[in-house]
Amino acid sequence: MTLFRLECKTHTKTLLIWTIVVALLTLGLVSLFPAMKDMGLQQMDLKSMPKEMLKAFNLSDMAAFATIKGYFGYEFQYVMIATGIFAAMLGTNALSREESEGTITYLYAQPISRASIVSSKMLANALIYSLYWVVSMVVAFLVCLIFKESGASVSDLFKGFSQLTFTGWIMGLTFLGVGFLLSSLLSSNKSATSLSLGLVFLTFILGVVGKLKDTFKTLVYFSPVDTALPSAIFKSGIQWNYVWTDLIVLVLSVLLTFWIYRRKDLKA
Amino acid sequence: MPVIELNNISKYFGKFAAVKELSLVVEEGEFFGFIGPNGAGKSTTMNMILNFIKRNGGSVKLLGQDMPGADVVVKKKIGYVPSDVRFYPQLRVHDLIRYTLDFHHMKEDKQELEHYCELFEVDLKKKFGDLSLGNKKKVAVICAMIHHPELLILDEPTNGLDPLMHARLFRLMKEKQEQGTTVFLSSHNLKEVEDYCSKVAFIKAGHLIGVEDLTAINKNVKIITLKGENLPLDQMKTIGAELIKQGKNEARFSYEKELPLLFQTLSHMAHGLDDVTVDNRDLEEQFMSMYENQEAAR
Repeated sequence: MTLFRLECKTHTKTLLIWTIVVALLTLGLVSLFPAMKDMGLQQMDLKSMPKEMLKAFNLSDMAAFATIKGYFGYEFQYVMIATGIFAAMLGTNALSREESEGTITYLYAQPISRASIVSSKMLANALIYSLYWVVSMVVAFLVCLIFKESGASVSDLFKGFSQLTFTGWIMGLTFLGVGFLLSSLLSSNKSATSLSLGLVFLTFILGVVGKLKDTFKTLVYFSPVDTALPSAIFKSGIQWNYVWTDLIVLVLSVLLTFWIYRRKDLKA
Repeated sequence: MPVIELNNISKYFGKFAAVKELSLVVEEGEFFGFIGPNGAGKSTTMNMILNFIKRNGGSVKLLGQDMPGADVVVKKKIGYVPSDVRFYPQLRVHDLIRYTLDFHHMKEDKQELEHYCELFEVDLKKKFGDLSLGNKKKVAVICAMIHHPELLILDEPTNGLDPLMHARLFRLMKEKQEQGTTVFLSSHNLKEVEDYCSKVAFIKAGHLIGVEDLTAINKNVKIITLKGENLPLDQMKTIGAELIKQGKNEARFSYEKELPLLFQTLSHMAHGLDDVTVDNRDLEEQFMSMYENQEAAR
Protein backbone atom coordinates (compact mmCIF):
# COMPACT_ATOMS: atom_id res chain seq x y z
CA MET A 1 0.00 0.00 0.00
CA THR A 2 2.91 2.36 0.76
CA LEU A 3 4.45 1.82 -2.64
CA PHE A 4 1.01 2.17 -4.24
CA ARG A 5 0.67 5.62 -2.64
CA LEU A 6 4.23 6.56 -3.54
CA GLU A 7 3.67 5.56 -7.17
CA CYS A 8 0.35 7.47 -7.36
CA LYS A 9 2.02 10.57 -5.93
CA THR A 10 4.89 10.28 -8.42
CA HIS A 11 2.47 10.25 -11.37
CA THR A 12 -0.02 12.91 -10.24
CA LYS A 13 1.62 15.65 -12.30
CA THR A 14 1.88 13.45 -15.42
CA LEU A 15 -1.78 12.50 -15.03
CA LEU A 16 -2.85 16.12 -14.78
CA ILE A 17 -0.80 17.19 -17.81
CA TRP A 18 -2.06 14.37 -20.02
CA THR A 19 -5.67 14.81 -18.94
CA ILE A 20 -5.66 18.58 -19.53
CA VAL A 21 -3.87 18.30 -22.90
CA VAL A 22 -6.23 15.58 -24.18
CA ALA A 23 -9.28 17.46 -22.89
CA LEU A 24 -8.18 20.64 -24.69
CA LEU A 25 -7.35 18.67 -27.83
CA THR A 26 -10.76 17.02 -27.78
CA LEU A 27 -12.45 20.37 -27.25
CA GLY A 28 -10.48 21.87 -30.12
CA LEU A 29 -11.21 19.00 -32.51
CA VAL A 30 -14.91 18.68 -31.71
CA SER A 31 -15.51 22.43 -31.75
CA LEU A 32 -14.56 22.36 -35.45
CA PHE A 33 -17.42 19.94 -36.19
CA PRO A 34 -20.17 22.49 -36.95
CA ALA A 35 -17.89 24.39 -39.32
CA MET A 36 -16.64 21.18 -41.01
CA LYS A 37 -20.20 19.95 -41.41
CA ASP A 38 -21.24 23.21 -43.04
CA MET A 39 -18.26 22.99 -45.40
CA GLY A 40 -19.65 19.69 -46.70
CA LEU A 41 -16.88 17.41 -45.61
CA GLN A 42 -19.18 14.42 -46.09
CA GLN A 43 -19.49 15.22 -49.79
CA MET A 44 -15.79 14.93 -50.42
CA ASP A 45 -15.26 12.52 -53.29
CA LEU A 46 -12.83 9.80 -52.37
CA LYS A 47 -14.14 7.26 -54.89
CA SER A 48 -10.89 7.28 -56.80
CA MET A 49 -9.17 5.80 -53.72
CA PRO A 50 -9.12 2.00 -53.29
CA LYS A 51 -11.85 0.79 -50.92
CA GLU A 52 -9.38 -1.15 -48.80
CA MET A 53 -7.27 1.94 -48.35
CA LEU A 54 -10.28 3.95 -47.19
CA LYS A 55 -11.23 1.14 -44.84
CA ALA A 56 -7.73 0.93 -43.45
CA PHE A 57 -7.79 4.62 -42.56
CA ASN A 58 -11.41 4.53 -41.36
CA LEU A 59 -12.63 6.78 -44.18
CA SER A 60 -15.02 4.33 -45.86
CA ASP A 61 -18.18 6.06 -44.67
CA MET A 62 -17.83 9.73 -45.57
CA ALA A 63 -21.57 10.31 -45.08
CA ALA A 64 -21.07 9.64 -41.39
CA PHE A 65 -18.97 12.81 -41.18
CA ALA A 66 -22.20 14.78 -41.15
CA THR A 67 -22.94 13.34 -37.70
CA ILE A 68 -21.08 14.05 -34.47
CA LYS A 69 -20.48 10.29 -33.99
CA GLY A 70 -18.97 9.89 -37.43
CA TYR A 71 -16.83 13.02 -37.13
CA PHE A 72 -15.69 12.30 -33.57
CA GLY A 73 -15.11 8.63 -34.44
CA TYR A 74 -12.63 9.58 -37.15
CA GLU A 75 -10.86 12.43 -35.34
CA PHE A 76 -10.57 10.67 -32.03
CA GLN A 77 -8.67 7.67 -33.42
CA TYR A 78 -5.53 9.83 -33.22
CA VAL A 79 -6.24 10.55 -29.58
CA MET A 80 -6.61 6.79 -29.13
CA ILE A 81 -3.08 6.36 -30.50
CA ALA A 82 -1.83 9.03 -28.06
CA THR A 83 -3.71 7.27 -25.27
CA GLY A 84 -2.01 4.00 -26.21
CA ILE A 85 1.36 5.76 -26.03
CA PHE A 86 0.52 7.22 -22.60
CA ALA A 87 -0.46 3.78 -21.27
CA ALA A 88 2.60 2.08 -22.80
CA MET A 89 4.89 4.76 -21.34
CA LEU A 90 3.40 4.32 -17.90
CA GLY A 91 4.16 0.60 -18.16
CA THR A 92 7.65 0.74 -19.70
CA ASN A 93 8.80 3.33 -17.15
CA ALA A 94 7.21 1.75 -14.10
CA LEU A 95 9.93 -0.73 -13.13
CA SER A 96 12.87 0.41 -15.25
CA ARG A 97 12.81 4.00 -13.96
CA GLU A 98 13.59 2.79 -10.44
CA GLU A 99 16.76 1.12 -11.73
CA SER A 100 17.68 4.01 -13.97
CA GLU A 101 17.36 6.57 -11.19
CA GLY A 102 18.92 4.27 -8.59
CA THR A 103 15.88 4.43 -6.29
CA ILE A 104 15.61 0.66 -6.56
CA THR A 105 18.23 0.20 -3.80
CA TYR A 106 15.94 2.13 -1.43
CA LEU A 107 12.97 0.02 -2.48
CA TYR A 108 14.78 -3.33 -2.31
CA ALA A 109 16.03 -2.48 1.20
CA GLN A 110 12.44 -2.13 2.45
CA PRO A 111 10.40 -5.09 3.72
CA ILE A 112 8.49 -5.55 0.49
CA SER A 113 8.63 -8.54 -1.84
CA ARG A 114 9.36 -8.32 -5.55
CA ALA A 115 5.82 -9.54 -6.24
CA SER A 116 4.44 -6.71 -4.07
CA ILE A 117 6.60 -4.17 -5.92
CA VAL A 118 5.14 -5.32 -9.24
CA SER A 119 1.54 -5.58 -8.00
CA SER A 120 1.63 -2.17 -6.23
CA LYS A 121 3.05 -0.51 -9.31
CA MET A 122 0.59 -2.26 -11.62
CA LEU A 123 -2.40 -1.23 -9.52
CA ALA A 124 -1.18 2.36 -9.16
CA ASN A 125 -0.51 2.74 -12.89
CA ALA A 126 -3.79 1.05 -13.80
CA LEU A 127 -5.54 3.55 -11.52
CA ILE A 128 -3.67 6.48 -13.09
CA TYR A 129 -4.58 5.29 -16.58
CA SER A 130 -8.21 4.63 -15.58
CA LEU A 131 -8.59 8.11 -14.10
CA TYR A 132 -7.08 9.66 -17.22
CA TRP A 133 -9.36 7.65 -19.45
CA VAL A 134 -12.58 8.18 -17.55
CA VAL A 135 -12.01 11.95 -17.29
CA SER A 136 -11.08 12.12 -21.01
CA MET A 137 -14.22 10.23 -21.94
CA VAL A 138 -16.48 12.33 -19.73
CA VAL A 139 -14.99 15.52 -21.22
CA ALA A 140 -15.32 14.13 -24.76
CA PHE A 141 -18.95 13.15 -24.13
CA LEU A 142 -19.84 16.57 -22.74
CA VAL A 143 -18.07 18.34 -25.59
CA CYS A 144 -19.92 16.17 -28.12
CA LEU A 145 -23.22 17.02 -26.40
CA ILE A 146 -22.43 20.71 -26.82
CA PHE A 147 -21.46 20.53 -30.49
CA LYS A 148 -23.68 17.68 -31.70
CA GLU A 149 -25.95 18.22 -34.72
CA SER A 150 -29.58 18.86 -34.02
CA GLY A 151 -31.51 15.63 -33.96
CA ALA A 152 -28.63 13.49 -32.71
CA SER A 153 -29.82 11.06 -30.06
CA VAL A 154 -28.23 11.65 -26.66
CA SER A 155 -28.96 8.10 -25.49
CA ASP A 156 -27.41 6.70 -28.66
CA LEU A 157 -24.36 8.90 -28.11
CA PHE A 158 -24.20 7.84 -24.45
CA LYS A 159 -24.33 4.16 -25.46
CA GLY A 160 -21.51 4.69 -27.96
CA PHE A 161 -19.39 6.50 -25.42
CA SER A 162 -20.03 3.83 -22.76
CA GLN A 163 -18.80 1.16 -25.15
CA LEU A 164 -15.81 3.28 -26.17
CA THR A 165 -14.96 3.92 -22.52
CA PHE A 166 -14.89 0.18 -21.86
CA THR A 167 -12.91 -0.83 -24.97
CA GLY A 168 -10.50 2.11 -24.61
CA TRP A 169 -9.89 1.07 -21.03
CA ILE A 170 -9.10 -2.49 -22.14
CA MET A 171 -6.84 -1.16 -24.92
CA GLY A 172 -4.91 1.04 -22.49
CA LEU A 173 -4.55 -1.73 -19.94
CA THR A 174 -3.18 -3.99 -22.69
CA PHE A 175 -0.52 -1.44 -23.64
CA LEU A 176 0.17 -0.90 -19.95
CA GLY A 177 0.59 -4.65 -19.42
CA VAL A 178 2.92 -5.09 -22.40
CA GLY A 179 4.79 -1.99 -21.21
CA PHE A 180 5.27 -3.60 -17.80
CA LEU A 181 6.61 -6.74 -19.46
CA LEU A 182 9.17 -4.66 -21.39
CA SER A 183 9.98 -2.73 -18.21
CA SER A 184 10.76 -5.95 -16.35
CA LEU A 185 13.33 -6.75 -19.04
CA LEU A 186 14.97 -3.30 -19.10
CA SER A 187 17.67 -2.16 -16.71
CA SER A 188 17.21 1.50 -17.63
CA ASN A 189 14.30 3.62 -18.82
CA LYS A 190 16.38 5.43 -21.43
CA SER A 191 14.69 3.51 -24.23
CA ALA A 192 11.25 3.47 -22.58
CA THR A 193 9.78 6.32 -24.64
CA SER A 194 11.03 5.02 -27.99
CA LEU A 195 9.89 1.51 -27.10
CA SER A 196 6.43 2.80 -26.21
CA LEU A 197 6.16 4.73 -29.46
CA GLY A 198 7.42 1.72 -31.39
CA LEU A 199 4.97 -0.61 -29.66
CA VAL A 200 1.92 1.54 -30.37
CA PHE A 201 2.81 2.55 -33.94
CA LEU A 202 3.96 -0.93 -34.93
CA THR A 203 0.77 -2.58 -33.68
CA PHE A 204 -1.33 0.21 -35.24
CA ILE A 205 0.38 -0.35 -38.61
CA LEU A 206 -0.24 -4.08 -38.25
CA GLY A 207 -3.91 -3.20 -37.88
CA VAL A 208 -3.80 -0.99 -40.99
CA VAL A 209 -2.10 -3.75 -43.02
CA GLY A 210 -4.64 -6.26 -41.67
CA LYS A 211 -7.47 -4.10 -42.99
CA LEU A 212 -5.81 -3.50 -46.36
CA LYS A 213 -5.99 -7.10 -47.49
CA ASP A 214 -8.25 -9.94 -46.36
CA THR A 215 -5.38 -12.44 -46.31
CA PHE A 216 -3.67 -10.38 -43.60
CA LYS A 217 -6.76 -9.74 -41.51
CA THR A 218 -5.47 -11.80 -38.57
CA LEU A 219 -2.92 -9.00 -38.08
CA VAL A 220 -5.73 -6.80 -36.77
CA TYR A 221 -5.77 -8.99 -33.66
CA PHE A 222 -2.26 -7.70 -32.89
CA SER A 223 -3.50 -4.11 -32.85
CA PRO A 224 -5.00 -3.10 -29.50
CA VAL A 225 -5.98 0.29 -31.01
CA ASP A 226 -8.42 -1.59 -33.26
CA THR A 227 -10.23 -2.89 -30.16
CA ALA A 228 -11.22 0.66 -29.40
CA LEU A 229 -11.41 2.43 -32.76
CA PRO A 230 -14.17 4.98 -32.11
CA SER A 231 -15.60 4.81 -35.65
CA ALA A 232 -15.87 1.00 -35.49
CA ILE A 233 -17.31 1.04 -31.95
CA PHE A 234 -19.92 3.68 -32.84
CA LYS A 235 -20.87 1.74 -35.99
CA SER A 236 -20.76 -1.90 -34.89
CA GLY A 237 -20.49 -1.85 -31.10
CA ILE A 238 -17.93 -3.78 -29.07
CA GLN A 239 -15.98 -6.33 -31.08
CA TRP A 240 -15.53 -9.01 -28.46
CA ASN A 241 -13.04 -11.07 -30.45
CA TYR A 242 -10.58 -8.16 -30.19
CA VAL A 243 -11.42 -7.54 -26.55
CA TRP A 244 -10.72 -11.17 -25.67
CA THR A 245 -7.44 -11.10 -27.59
CA ASP A 246 -6.40 -8.00 -25.62
CA LEU A 247 -7.37 -9.63 -22.34
CA ILE A 248 -5.29 -12.72 -23.17
CA VAL A 249 -2.27 -10.53 -24.05
CA LEU A 250 -2.83 -8.53 -20.85
CA VAL A 251 -2.99 -11.59 -18.59
CA LEU A 252 0.06 -13.19 -20.24
CA SER A 253 2.05 -9.94 -19.95
CA VAL A 254 1.16 -9.58 -16.28
CA LEU A 255 2.10 -13.18 -15.46
CA LEU A 256 5.38 -12.95 -17.39
CA THR A 257 6.24 -9.65 -15.68
CA PHE A 258 5.87 -11.27 -12.23
CA TRP A 259 7.92 -14.28 -13.34
CA ILE A 260 10.76 -12.22 -14.83
CA TYR A 261 10.90 -9.59 -12.09
CA ARG A 262 11.18 -12.17 -9.29
CA ARG A 263 14.32 -13.47 -10.94
CA LYS A 264 15.79 -10.11 -11.82
CA ASP A 265 19.19 -8.99 -10.56
CA LEU A 266 19.95 -5.43 -9.63
CA LYS A 267 22.35 -4.07 -12.23
CA ALA A 268 25.63 -3.30 -10.48
CA MET B 1 23.77 -16.14 17.59
CA PRO B 2 25.22 -15.35 14.15
CA VAL B 3 23.43 -12.43 12.53
CA ILE B 4 25.04 -12.89 9.13
CA GLU B 5 26.11 -16.35 7.95
CA LEU B 6 27.55 -16.62 4.46
CA ASN B 7 28.42 -20.12 3.38
CA ASN B 8 30.45 -20.50 0.18
CA ILE B 9 28.54 -17.84 -1.73
CA SER B 10 29.59 -17.09 -5.31
CA LYS B 11 28.51 -14.68 -7.97
CA TYR B 12 29.47 -14.91 -11.62
CA PHE B 13 28.90 -12.23 -14.25
CA GLY B 14 29.30 -14.35 -17.36
CA LYS B 15 32.55 -16.21 -16.81
CA PHE B 16 33.93 -13.59 -14.43
CA ALA B 17 33.77 -14.60 -10.78
CA ALA B 18 33.00 -11.40 -8.84
CA VAL B 19 32.78 -13.37 -5.60
CA LYS B 20 33.96 -16.95 -5.24
CA GLU B 21 33.03 -19.34 -2.42
CA LEU B 22 33.06 -16.69 0.27
CA SER B 23 32.19 -17.73 3.82
CA LEU B 24 31.77 -15.34 6.71
CA VAL B 25 30.08 -15.20 10.10
CA VAL B 26 29.07 -12.00 11.89
CA GLU B 27 27.97 -12.49 15.46
CA GLU B 28 25.22 -10.57 17.25
CA GLY B 29 26.36 -7.21 18.63
CA GLU B 30 29.57 -7.06 16.60
CA PHE B 31 30.83 -3.96 14.84
CA PHE B 32 32.12 -5.76 11.77
CA GLY B 33 34.32 -4.11 9.17
CA PHE B 34 34.46 -5.32 5.60
CA ILE B 35 37.37 -3.93 3.64
CA GLY B 36 38.97 -4.45 0.28
CA PRO B 37 40.21 -2.51 -2.74
CA ASN B 38 37.95 -1.26 -5.52
CA GLY B 39 36.44 -4.12 -7.50
CA ALA B 40 37.24 -6.66 -4.77
CA GLY B 41 33.61 -7.80 -4.55
CA LYS B 42 32.46 -5.88 -1.45
CA SER B 43 29.34 -4.39 -3.03
CA THR B 44 28.53 -7.66 -4.83
CA THR B 45 28.74 -9.49 -1.50
CA MET B 46 26.51 -6.89 0.16
CA ASN B 47 24.06 -7.08 -2.72
CA MET B 48 23.89 -10.85 -2.26
CA ILE B 49 23.43 -10.50 1.51
CA LEU B 50 20.52 -8.12 0.92
CA ASN B 51 19.06 -10.24 -1.90
CA PHE B 52 19.46 -7.41 -4.40
CA ILE B 53 21.10 -9.94 -6.72
CA LYS B 54 20.81 -13.72 -6.88
CA ARG B 55 23.82 -15.76 -5.91
CA ASN B 56 25.19 -18.59 -8.05
CA GLY B 57 25.92 -20.89 -5.17
CA GLY B 58 26.14 -21.23 -1.41
CA SER B 59 23.73 -20.08 1.26
CA VAL B 60 22.94 -16.88 3.16
CA LYS B 61 21.35 -16.73 6.60
CA LEU B 62 20.36 -13.41 8.12
CA LEU B 63 19.25 -13.21 11.76
CA GLY B 64 19.07 -17.01 11.74
CA GLN B 65 16.73 -17.19 8.74
CA ASP B 66 17.41 -18.52 5.27
CA MET B 67 17.56 -15.99 2.45
CA PRO B 68 15.89 -15.25 0.12
CA GLY B 69 12.97 -17.15 1.65
CA ALA B 70 12.72 -14.86 4.67
CA ASP B 71 13.49 -11.69 2.70
CA VAL B 72 10.51 -9.59 3.82
CA VAL B 73 10.59 -10.76 7.47
CA VAL B 74 14.32 -10.15 7.76
CA LYS B 75 14.27 -6.73 6.07
CA LYS B 76 11.94 -5.43 8.79
CA LYS B 77 14.97 -5.80 11.05
CA ILE B 78 17.63 -4.41 8.72
CA GLY B 79 18.71 -0.85 8.08
CA TYR B 80 20.78 -0.22 4.94
CA VAL B 81 22.81 2.79 3.86
CA PRO B 82 23.95 2.49 0.23
CA SER B 83 27.24 3.98 -0.91
CA ASP B 84 25.51 5.90 -3.68
CA VAL B 85 22.39 7.37 -2.08
CA ARG B 86 19.77 7.88 -4.76
CA PHE B 87 16.36 8.18 -3.16
CA TYR B 88 13.25 9.76 -4.68
CA PRO B 89 14.39 13.30 -5.63
CA GLN B 90 10.87 14.73 -5.84
CA LEU B 91 10.05 13.86 -2.22
CA ARG B 92 10.71 16.02 0.79
CA VAL B 93 12.99 14.54 3.45
CA HIS B 94 10.11 14.23 5.91
CA ASP B 95 8.02 12.36 3.34
CA LEU B 96 10.88 9.97 2.64
CA ILE B 97 11.20 9.18 6.34
CA ARG B 98 7.43 8.76 6.62
CA TYR B 99 7.38 6.37 3.65
CA THR B 100 10.22 4.38 5.25
CA LEU B 101 8.24 4.11 8.49
CA ASP B 102 5.13 3.14 6.51
CA PHE B 103 7.03 0.32 4.81
CA HIS B 104 7.86 -0.95 8.31
CA HIS B 105 4.30 -0.37 9.57
CA MET B 106 5.60 2.00 12.23
CA LYS B 107 4.37 5.33 13.54
CA GLU B 108 6.63 8.35 13.65
CA ASP B 109 8.33 9.04 16.97
CA LYS B 110 8.63 12.83 16.79
CA GLN B 111 11.15 13.06 19.61
CA GLU B 112 13.43 10.49 18.05
CA LEU B 113 13.19 12.11 14.63
CA GLU B 114 13.97 15.53 16.10
CA HIS B 115 16.96 14.02 17.87
CA TYR B 116 18.36 12.62 14.60
CA CYS B 117 17.63 15.84 12.71
CA GLU B 118 19.42 17.90 15.34
CA LEU B 119 22.32 15.49 15.49
CA PHE B 120 22.85 15.48 11.72
CA GLU B 121 21.52 19.00 11.07
CA VAL B 122 18.94 17.78 8.58
CA ASP B 123 16.14 20.01 7.26
CA LEU B 124 12.99 17.91 6.93
CA LYS B 125 11.30 20.38 4.61
CA LYS B 126 13.89 20.25 1.85
CA LYS B 127 13.40 18.18 -1.27
CA PHE B 128 15.75 15.21 -1.38
CA GLY B 129 16.89 16.09 -4.91
CA ASP B 130 18.06 19.52 -3.71
CA LEU B 131 20.40 18.12 -1.04
CA SER B 132 24.18 17.88 -1.25
CA LEU B 133 25.92 14.49 -1.30
CA GLY B 134 26.69 14.68 2.43
CA ASN B 135 23.13 15.66 3.35
CA LYS B 136 21.74 12.84 1.21
CA LYS B 137 23.96 10.47 3.15
CA LYS B 138 22.64 11.80 6.44
CA VAL B 139 19.04 11.25 5.29
CA ALA B 140 19.95 7.70 4.27
CA VAL B 141 21.41 7.11 7.74
CA ILE B 142 18.23 8.40 9.41
CA CYS B 143 16.06 6.22 7.12
CA ALA B 144 18.23 3.22 8.01
CA MET B 145 17.97 3.81 11.77
CA ILE B 146 14.45 5.17 12.20
CA HIS B 147 12.82 1.71 12.42
CA HIS B 148 15.25 0.44 15.11
CA PRO B 149 16.95 -2.31 13.08
CA GLU B 150 18.74 -5.26 14.66
CA LEU B 151 21.29 -5.22 11.86
CA LEU B 152 22.75 -2.13 10.23
CA ILE B 153 24.46 -2.60 6.88
CA LEU B 154 26.46 0.44 5.81
CA ASP B 155 28.25 0.75 2.50
CA GLU B 156 30.82 3.58 2.67
CA PRO B 157 28.57 5.64 4.97
CA THR B 158 31.03 8.49 5.51
CA ASN B 159 31.53 9.44 1.84
CA GLY B 160 30.72 13.13 1.57
CA LEU B 161 30.43 13.72 5.31
CA ASP B 162 32.47 16.43 7.01
CA PRO B 163 34.69 15.38 9.96
CA LEU B 164 32.15 16.59 12.53
CA MET B 165 29.28 14.58 11.03
CA HIS B 166 31.64 11.66 10.51
CA ALA B 167 32.40 11.61 14.24
CA ARG B 168 28.71 12.00 15.17
CA LEU B 169 27.71 9.15 12.87
CA PHE B 170 30.26 6.78 14.36
CA ARG B 171 29.34 7.80 17.90
CA LEU B 172 25.71 7.02 17.09
CA MET B 173 26.60 3.67 15.56
CA LYS B 174 28.70 2.82 18.59
CA GLU B 175 25.72 3.69 20.81
CA LYS B 176 23.49 1.46 18.70
CA GLN B 177 26.03 -1.34 18.95
CA GLU B 178 26.10 -0.98 22.72
CA GLN B 179 22.30 -1.30 22.68
CA GLY B 180 22.65 -4.65 20.86
CA THR B 181 22.52 -3.67 17.19
CA THR B 182 24.94 -5.50 14.92
CA VAL B 183 26.82 -3.20 12.54
CA PHE B 184 28.26 -4.42 9.24
CA LEU B 185 30.40 -1.70 7.73
CA SER B 186 32.03 -1.66 4.33
CA SER B 187 34.69 1.00 4.06
CA HIS B 188 37.85 2.13 2.33
CA ASN B 189 38.81 4.16 5.37
CA LEU B 190 41.05 1.81 7.35
CA LYS B 191 41.38 4.29 10.20
CA GLU B 192 37.64 4.34 10.92
CA VAL B 193 37.47 0.55 10.70
CA GLU B 194 40.41 0.25 13.07
CA ASP B 195 38.93 2.78 15.52
CA TYR B 196 35.42 1.38 15.71
CA CYS B 197 35.23 -2.21 14.48
CA SER B 198 35.61 -5.24 16.71
CA LYS B 199 36.31 -7.54 13.80
CA VAL B 200 37.38 -7.02 10.23
CA ALA B 201 37.24 -9.14 7.10
CA PHE B 202 39.56 -8.55 4.13
CA ILE B 203 38.39 -9.32 0.62
CA LYS B 204 40.35 -9.29 -2.61
CA ALA B 205 39.40 -10.39 -6.12
CA GLY B 206 36.24 -12.01 -4.79
CA HIS B 207 38.08 -14.10 -2.19
CA LEU B 208 38.03 -13.63 1.55
CA ILE B 209 41.68 -13.44 2.50
CA GLY B 210 41.37 -13.09 6.23
CA VAL B 211 39.31 -12.14 9.26
CA GLU B 212 40.98 -10.34 12.17
CA ASP B 213 39.66 -9.88 15.67
CA LEU B 214 40.73 -6.30 16.39
CA THR B 215 40.01 -6.64 20.11
CA ALA B 216 42.62 -9.39 20.34
CA ILE B 217 45.18 -7.84 18.02
CA ASN B 218 48.70 -7.58 19.49
CA LYS B 219 49.40 -3.84 19.82
CA ASN B 220 53.01 -4.57 20.79
CA VAL B 221 53.98 -5.55 17.28
CA LYS B 222 56.17 -2.86 15.70
CA ILE B 223 56.85 -2.34 12.04
CA ILE B 224 60.39 -1.19 11.28
CA THR B 225 61.34 0.26 7.93
CA LEU B 226 65.01 0.66 7.12
CA LYS B 227 66.36 2.55 4.11
CA GLY B 228 69.94 2.54 2.91
CA GLU B 229 72.43 0.89 0.60
CA ASN B 230 73.69 -1.70 3.09
CA LEU B 231 70.73 -3.08 4.92
CA PRO B 232 71.63 -4.96 8.16
CA LEU B 233 69.39 -7.93 7.47
CA ASP B 234 71.44 -10.39 9.57
CA GLN B 235 71.59 -8.13 12.64
CA MET B 236 67.85 -7.60 12.52
CA LYS B 237 67.32 -11.34 12.24
CA THR B 238 69.57 -11.85 15.26
CA ILE B 239 67.39 -9.66 17.51
CA GLY B 240 64.25 -11.51 16.36
CA ALA B 241 62.90 -9.11 13.73
CA GLU B 242 61.05 -10.85 10.95
CA LEU B 243 61.61 -9.63 7.40
CA ILE B 244 58.24 -8.82 5.81
CA LYS B 245 59.35 -7.24 2.57
CA GLN B 246 62.62 -6.38 0.92
CA GLY B 247 63.03 -3.97 -1.94
CA LYS B 248 65.89 -2.05 -3.48
CA ASN B 249 67.57 -0.11 -0.61
CA GLU B 250 64.57 -0.74 1.63
CA ALA B 251 63.44 -3.47 4.03
CA ARG B 252 60.43 -3.83 6.30
CA PHE B 253 60.43 -5.94 9.46
CA SER B 254 57.96 -6.86 12.14
CA TYR B 255 59.22 -6.98 15.70
CA GLU B 256 57.50 -7.92 18.96
CA LYS B 257 60.32 -8.31 21.49
CA GLU B 258 61.81 -5.82 23.96
CA LEU B 259 62.10 -2.26 22.71
CA PRO B 260 65.44 -1.39 24.43
CA LEU B 261 67.14 -4.17 22.46
CA LEU B 262 65.61 -2.85 19.23
CA PHE B 263 66.65 0.75 19.79
CA GLN B 264 70.13 -0.28 20.96
CA THR B 265 70.62 -2.26 17.75
CA LEU B 266 69.20 0.52 15.59
CA SER B 267 71.46 3.15 17.18
CA HIS B 268 74.51 0.99 16.40
CA MET B 269 73.47 0.60 12.78
CA ALA B 270 72.17 4.14 12.28
CA HIS B 271 75.32 5.52 10.69
CA GLY B 272 75.00 3.11 7.73
CA LEU B 273 71.30 3.85 7.09
CA ASP B 274 69.53 6.70 5.28
CA ASP B 275 66.29 6.46 7.24
CA VAL B 276 64.68 4.45 10.06
CA THR B 277 61.00 4.41 11.02
CA VAL B 278 59.31 2.45 13.81
CA ASP B 279 55.49 2.27 13.81
CA ASN B 280 52.82 0.31 15.56
CA ARG B 281 51.42 -2.39 13.35
CA ASP B 282 48.10 -0.87 12.26
CA LEU B 283 45.30 -2.18 10.13
CA GLU B 284 46.82 -0.73 7.02
CA GLU B 285 50.01 -2.70 7.61
CA GLN B 286 48.02 -5.85 8.20
CA PHE B 287 45.92 -5.17 5.13
CA MET B 288 49.02 -4.63 2.99
CA SER B 289 50.83 -7.68 4.31
CA MET B 290 47.79 -9.90 3.77
CA TYR B 291 47.53 -8.71 0.18
CA GLU B 292 51.21 -9.12 -0.43
CA ASN B 293 51.20 -12.61 1.09
CA GLN B 294 48.32 -13.55 -1.13
CA GLU B 295 50.09 -12.20 -4.19
CA ALA B 296 53.20 -14.16 -3.22
CA ALA B 297 51.19 -17.34 -2.77
CA ARG B 298 49.91 -17.11 -6.36
